[in-house]
Amino acid sequence: MIHTSSSLRLLLAMALTVGFFNTGCDKHNHTEGEVITRVTVHLTGIGNSFNQEFEAKDDDGDGTFNSIDPISLPAGSAFMCRLHLYDDTKTPVEDISEEVAAESNEHLFVYAVSNATMVIGNLNTDGNGAPFGLESIWTTALASTGSVKITLYHEPTNKNSTTDPGGEVDVEVSFPVTIQ
Amino acid sequence: MLKSKAAIAGFCSLCCLGLSAQDCHFALRGHVTEAETNEVLAYASVLVRETGKIVSTDENGWFAIPNLCEKTSYTVEIRHIECAHFTQIVQLTENTAMEFRLLHDAVLNEVVIREKALPPPPTQAAETVAQSDLEAGKGVHLGETLKKLPGVNLLSSGATVAKPVIQGLHGNRIAIVSDGVTLQSQQWGNDHAPEIDPYASETIRVVKGADGVRYGVGAMAGAVVLEPAPLRKESGRGGWATLNGFSNGRGLAMAGSIDWRLHHNEAWAFRLQGTYKRNGNLRAPDYWLGNTGTREFDFTGMAAWEREKTQHTLSISQFNQAYGVLRASHVGNLTDLRFAIASDTPRNNLNYFSYDIERPRQEVQHNTLKYKGEIRLNEVWKWVTQYNFQYNRRQEFDRGRGSVIEGDRPQVSFRLWSNTLDAGLEHRPIRHWQGAVGVQLLQQLNYVSRGGYIPDYLSFGGSVWAIERWRRFPHPWEFEAGIRYDYRWSHATTSGNGNNNLDEVVQFGNVSGTIGAIYRILPELVLRGNTGFAWRPPHVNELFARGVHHGAGAYEQGNPDLQTEKAWNTNFSLDWQSKHGHAGLSLFRNAVQDFIYLNQPRDSVVLTVRGPFPAYFHQQADAVLQGMDLNVSLRTLGRVYVEARASTLFALRKTNDSDGKNRDWLPLMPGDRYQYGLRWLIQDHSAPTFIRLLATTAIRQWRIPAEGLTKAAPETFTVLGLEAAHSFRWGKRRIEAGLNVQNLGNRRYREYLDLFRFYADMPGVNVALRVKAVF
Repeated sequence: MIHTSSSLRLLLAMALTVGFFNTGCDKHNHTEGEVITRVTVHLTGIGNSFNQEFEAKDDDGDGTFNSIDPISLPAGSAFMCRLHLYDDTKTPVEDISEEVAAESNEHLFVYAVSNATMVIGNLNTDGNGAPFGLESIWTTALASTGSVKITLYHEPTNKNSTTDPGGEVDVEVSFPVTIQ
Repeated sequence: MLKSKAAIAGFCSLCCLGLSAQDCHFALRGHVTEAETNEVLAYASVLVRETGKIVSTDENGWFAIPNLCEKTSYTVEIRHIECAHFTQIVQLTENTAMEFRLLHDAVLNEVVIREKALPPPPTQAAETVAQSDLEAGKGVHLGETLKKLPGVNLLSSGATVAKPVIQGLHGNRIAIVSDGVTLQSQQWGNDHAPEIDPYASETIRVVKGADGVRYGVGAMAGAVVLEPAPLRKESGRGGWATLNGFSNGRGLAMAGSIDWRLHHNEAWAFRLQGTYKRNGNLRAPDYWLGNTGTREFDFTGMAAWEREKTQHTLSISQFNQAYGVLRASHVGNLTDLRFAIASDTPRNNLNYFSYDIERPRQEVQHNTLKYKGEIRLNEVWKWVTQYNFQYNRRQEFDRGRGSVIEGDRPQVSFRLWSNTLDAGLEHRPIRHWQGAVGVQLLQQLNYVSRGGYIPDYLSFGGSVWAIERWRRFPHPWEFEAGIRYDYRWSHATTSGNGNNNLDEVVQFGNVSGTIGAIYRILPELVLRGNTGFAWRPPHVNELFARGVHHGAGAYEQGNPDLQTEKAWNTNFSLDWQSKHGHAGLSLFRNAVQDFIYLNQPRDSVVLTVRGPFPAYFHQQADAVLQGMDLNVSLRTLGRVYVEARASTLFALRKTNDSDGKNRDWLPLMPGDRYQYGLRWLIQDHSAPTFIRLLATTAIRQWRIPAEGLTKAAPETFTVLGLEAAHSFRWGKRRIEAGLNVQNLGNRRYREYLDLFRFYADMPGVNVALRVKAVF
């Protein structure tokens, strides 16, 4: 009986220790997860007064875009494009594009237009003079509809390829485009 | 010697008292080992002086003496060529199996025998890892020690991360039980290896078949049971140290253990054990596998206070591992994955040798604290209490932009606390029935960081169980029956990831049962049959997962309406063992109602922020897994043995597809596998001297679902392995040395159950050398 009660006491002591472990921990501050929840395409007319932002947003943070704005542009015009990437889960909201720009050597934006009569070129360059693409020039021709797929590659191995630059995809979003 | 005379006197008075009611159909079965080295003693003679019966131990150190009387003291004498003779007094209350440990006592120049009752063998098909395979595999990981067993496969992520697969099932469907503690960690993840240091174990056994009654919910396909060496029984010190070197990855593994029992207070015994492992990038035949280095440090401490009727054991252990994840396996979206599959050589590979472990990498820590108390209440009943606390921390470090990797913080972390309390009453045989009843209480708390893909949860569980075994040697039959009820309550919550504001309570309860029999057709031939019912509640990831699972490169979505999985597992096994060799055949059928699996509907893709990902959905359907395992080792000319092992599995699920098919194969099931070779046994004892050449042929898995990316199964391959071991005495120490060459021909191959098969080949030739000193 003596042994029983001493083992019970030992157990109790252990349960208390464990209770300490359980309550003494804070919940969600151990990791640095950074996600892109919003992509903004900011288009400013060159030689015209066009100035509009189009957004793709992941409102619930599940990793899929909940809404993508259709891009509507006048025909026969040219635009200066600047992309912005945000993490809305942070307070204050974090502008990830600044960081991407700071690491331009390790990033590449690739633009792929389908069906719409539009050309995207003049990608801005990184520190080594290779394409980077956070900024670009968009030129529209005839009235048409289609889409533009914007892909951000991290650590690409061939920055001159638009089909297989290597590395990993950080963002890929396809905006519907109407030229009228 | 004086002691034994006193006991014989006791025996005389006893037999006079209880002569009329005496039953003389008992048997003493025993296993004889050398206490210092744990070597089994084959061909030792065992004499029961009172009856004049004499038998000899078999190759594995076992013997059996039938027709002994109950409640009687017998003097057992054991003789072995290398030693003098030893005596021990044994009293039989019922049929028992006992472990006899012989110890050379330097002071008294005589040998002492310690004996303890052994637990009965399982009625399910079971395999024990051969000592030589165990020693060779310990320096790598748990999976490596198991992979030669028929019916056991590895679900791996490259060569460094491997989960055991028993007859097609893994993860939460098997139990991993180390020193009586069921491992509680993030085993739902296919890329999460069990946090087990094989150096802390002396024996590893795999139970194939449902064993929910013994091991609780989840043991639907079996269990991997690891037992540490028993603590030192004699006062003084002992231990071992080992060093392993590996050519591939330029790896090193060191381990050592020291045991002691106090001289002035023999009730106290202690053990300290530690392991350190390190390797750099592994090499496939044609290229380095960039970022496949690992680092591991583990330790165990045990303290026991043992008296005749009471035992208290306290043990702590910690497992720490950091490992790199193959750089080439880190792909972005589906486009990247298609490029990776199309490419013959790994993309983005770091094609050089390095010990550095870079991102992506994972770090795991597992802590276990265990207390076990055993109190013998009387001749028949024993009260056993066990409490264990486990804390598992898993951190995943992803690649990313400068600010993401700043401060070297992980992107995802999982922390799991588990408390388990077991209480049971065990009884020695009562009218030939021996068994136990017990209760278990479990509490778990899981915290996941943002983006962690599974929710937080708090769980409570409880169970009651009873198991009984009838045996009456030399009666050829042995029976077992057991029943258990488990209940689980879980509260899942999350904020910030794909399951915004999840707040759900789920509860599950069900019965498990087992009925088994063993029939000894001949002393060398044993037939076992078992049918068992086991179940498993759906895990939180199957219920609530939602998002991209980066370890798997897939979008996964849970289903909150999932029901429990119920398995009815039946298996038969026939084992033959003689001096000419041994053979084992087992047949099994596991019918699983509401089997939960990841389904990928044809070309289903989810568009994520990072582009398209293949989409998988947790679904359930009735499934049947059936197959056969075979294991043969036959002595031919001289001391050359021919060895062969084969396993095959057919795993189908019911479907109600529109195209009229009503059955389809389950994904990620092992294909047919054959191992065959020659073993030249040069010197035969428990640590034998031998050379073995073994080939492994894995047939291309064709039993795969028609849909999904899983359809790419690698080609059939054959790899060769060469092993040799030798043990000798060096002064008072015993030295064991071993050589192990894997993938002898440096063949290029990929495994279907390797999650990295899309990206890179398996490692090429590896020469491992090991030396172990026992003192």
